[in-house]
Amino acid sequence: MRRSTLAAVVGLGLLLSGIALALIFTSNHEEHPEFAAFTQLVVTWSFILGGLVAWARRPDNDFGRLMTAVGMSVFVGALSESNESIIFTIGWVFGGIFIAVFIHALLAFPRGYLETRLIYAIVSIAYVELTLGAFLVGLFDDPTNPSNDCPSCPANAFLVADSPTTVAALNALMMILAVPALVASLYVFRRRWRAASVPLRRVLAPVYLTAGTTLLLLAVALVVSSISERAGQIVFWVLVFVFASVPIAFIFGLVRGRLARAGMGQLMLELGQAHEPGQLREALARALGDENLRLAYWIPETQSFADLDGSPIELPEPGGEELATMAERDGQVVAALIHHRSLEEDRLFVEAAAAAAALALENERRLAALAEAQARNRALLDAVPDLMFRMDRDGNYLEYKGAREDLAVPPEQLIGSNVRDVLPSDVADRFVEDIRRAVDTGKLMRHDYRLEIDGVPRDWEARIVKAGDDAVVIGREFTEQKRAQLELERLHAELQQRHRDLEHERDFIRTVVDSTPSLLCLTTPGGYVVRFNSSLERLSGRADDDLVKGEAFWDVFIAPEEREEVQRALERVAEEGGRGEYENTWVTASGEPRRVAWSTAPLRDDRGDPRLLVCGMDITERKRHEDELRRSRARIVEASDVERRRLERNLHDGAQQRLVSLSLVLRLAQAKIEADPAGADELLGQASEELGQALEELRELARGIHPAVLSDRGLGPALEALAARSPLPVGLELDGDRLPEPIEAAAYYVVAEALTNVVKYAEASSVAVSIERVNGRAIVEIADDGVGGADPGGGSGLRGLVDRVEALDGLFVVESAPGRGTRIRAEFPCG
Amino acid sequence: MASTILIVDDHPGFRATARALLVAEGFEVVGEVDDGRSALEAARRLKPDLVLLDVQLPDTDGFAVASELCKENGSGPIVVLTSSHDASDFGSLVQGCGAAAFVPKAELTGAVLRAVLR
Repeated sequence: MRRSTLAAVVGLGLLLSGIALALIFTSNHEEHPEFAAFTQLVVTWSFILGGLVAWARRPDNDFGRLMTAVGMSVFVGALSESNESIIFTIGWVFGGIFIAVFIHALLAFPRGYLETRLIYAIVSIAYVELTLGAFLVGLFDDPTNPSNDCPSCPANAFLVADSPTTVAALNALMMILAVPALVASLYVFRRRWRAASVPLRRVLAPVYLTAGTTLLLLAVALVVSSISERAGQIVFWVLVFVFASVPIAFIFGLVRGRLARAGMGQLMLELGQAHEPGQLREALARALGDENLRLAYWIPETQSFADLDGSPIELPEPGGEELATMAERDGQVVAALIHHRSLEEDRLFVEAAAAAAALALENERRLAALAEAQARNRALLDAVPDLMFRMDRDGNYLEYKGAREDLAVPPEQLIGSNVRDVLPSDVADRFVEDIRRAVDTGKLMRHDYRLEIDGVPRDWEARIVKAGDDAVVIGREFTEQKRAQLELERLHAELQQRHRDLEHERDFIRTVVDSTPSLLCLTTPGGYVVRFNSSLERLSGRADDDLVKGEAFWDVFIAPEEREEVQRALERVAEEGGRGEYENTWVTASGEPRRVAWSTAPLRDDRGDPRLLVCGMDITERKRHEDELRRSRARIVEASDVERRRLERNLHDGAQQRLVSLSLVLRLAQAKIEADPAGADELLGQASEELGQALEELRELARGIHPAVLSDRGLGPALEALAARSPLPVGLELDGDRLPEPIEAAAYYVVAEALTNVVKYAEASSVAVSIERVNGRAIVEIADDGVGGADPGGGSGLRGLVDRVEALDGLFVVESAPGRGTRIRAEFPCG
Repeated sequence: MASTILIVDDHPGFRATARALLVAEGFEVVGEVDDGRSALEAARRLKPDLVLLDVQLPDTDGFAVASELCKENGSGPIVVLTSSHDASDFGSLVQGCGAAAFVPKAELTGAVLRAVLR
């Protein structure tokens, strides 16, 4: 609190007191001026001074200021001593305002502010009643009225009408509000009392006692004054003095608290005698007057606070009911005193006590740290799943730690028994051997062992270390690990097998890819070459190397005039992600065009990258054969048409004409038979000759269509007839067996056409015809000794023979060097 | 007076037989030609009453020759087409060319031609 504030408050108080005294002693209606002056001064200054003490101690707490305000507001009542009507009226009407301020201060005690809505409502009712309520009453109440017992008082400046009835009604109304408010106040005080700690109660007790008495008397005064004016006045006087004693009670409570803590010397004495854990807390609790005081020891290892048992302690949050004061030694925190917040008012005292106890606290802190470390180690030990035994060098069990289900015998039988009695002999021998070696050499010994516990085989690892004259055996189970390891090994073997399978698969695919006649090229999705197979290497004459990789597929393999089309096709495949089937001209490195049917399929390569597989098939030869076949078919059809025309012409020009003439001649002969028998006879002779020629022409024609002897008697007799009709000498050399009918027909026409050509063009003197069967093939050969120079592609006759032979999957060869005769050879497969 | 006939046919055997048959039947055969061009020329020159015209000729066919002959309205000869084929083999060509009749060669008689001339 600043000195200027103090001076201003005291100055204002003195000024108001001076004015009040002047008004009292000049008043013409004050019957007891001395008494009035006395009460005025006592009440005003007890509150002002008490308020200032509180204000100075706790400047952040409004309680001191509120007490001071109570003292100041008492002055308003002194205005009623004035002889001036208006001043008198203000004092007379609003003189009770200090009660509202007092209720406000009391309900704000000790925190300095109104804590709950209920308290806020109580205070509001007090202010409203003592301002607005008092004003309303003042409008209808005349001080000079006999009931007010002040005939010499100045006139009420606010008076509207003198109406005791209205006043009584208003008072009753205010009573209805005031009594519950007072009851509520008492409830609040009771609640606070119950919640308060012992040191706080020491402070609260005198204040609540006097204040409670004041409020009680106020209620009594209100009730009594409505019954008896005089009795009311007596109660009121008592009330004034009780009221004035509230600040004194506050200071008394304060002093009482301090006196309780004055036993520092006692504390020092007790600190010296506090040897047992917990005595130190009791000594400090007594010295500070806080029975609930707790000690929290600082554990540097964990950077936290713990109690004497090592249990962790959280320091209180700021703003709560408890505060923590640090006890330090050599600048290091040793412990925290956790105490009630009311001790904050004696911070220096608490700190002094903490400092005095620091040495003792340091000792206890070590205890706490030990307890904490022990608790931690125990927890650690408990958390370890291992079995632990202490055993002597003969293998006797001394101590153990571990779960019952991990032991080979019940725990109650274990201690005192020997390992040879508990475990199978081979396991036990190994234990005794290792225990002795560990105890003798001080080295860590370890071995694995398997035990069947409750019928289940379990694997363990034993570690044995020397501990004094004995050994500590730690058993750690690794059944699961072992199982996991076996599983891991199995998985590893499976993985290796899978790897080998994959390698075989890869080799297989590689072999297939490189030996397939298909042209395979792997490209990026955009159509840029990644790699291609041996078939494509052979076709394109390019090596699958870096020169080609990354180049556009169409630039490398496709004929220039179709590159754009293929590029578009691949772009479409890339966009639509589908498959496609195409036929294009590819080109070899030497520029030879090859017709290739190809397709695309999306796939991922061995790294998982998206790729396009172009798969092609060289169909150049197939195309050529197809074209040849098409042409051959067309020629066969054409030859057939030509043959039909020839037949029609031959029939029309030959036999038909002769028969027409025959018909006319016979008709003429008929007409002449009687008149000119000699002429008729001549005509009949002519007709007979005509008929013979017609028949011969028809026979010749029928032979040309299909010789009857060929189908009836076979190729041999047919060729003999053909040879006999030929103008040239024909040497025939025939195999006896018959051939399939289509082959006999084809062979016949080959010979017939060949002989016709020999007669027409060869100028030969003889011709030799042979038919033989060799290795399932029928071979027809016609050789002449003519001029040669025949062209198989030249005449339609030879061309037709080629078609006829090839239609039967046969082979037709013409050898016809100029001057060396002609040799025609037809071969037919004939089973 | 006997009707005059011009025989147009490329087969000499038929021409000779037809002439003998028609002369024996009382017709006067005024000429024989073996192709279409000669037929037109001979018809103009000889002005026969009837032209016996073979459908199949080496340079053109009988229908074309008949059309040409029938253009000379009234003054032209009567044309009789003949063939070793049947009339049904030629469809509407026979009616469309202006010929007066079609006689299969094997059915040629003087009576048939006389019926046409009447």
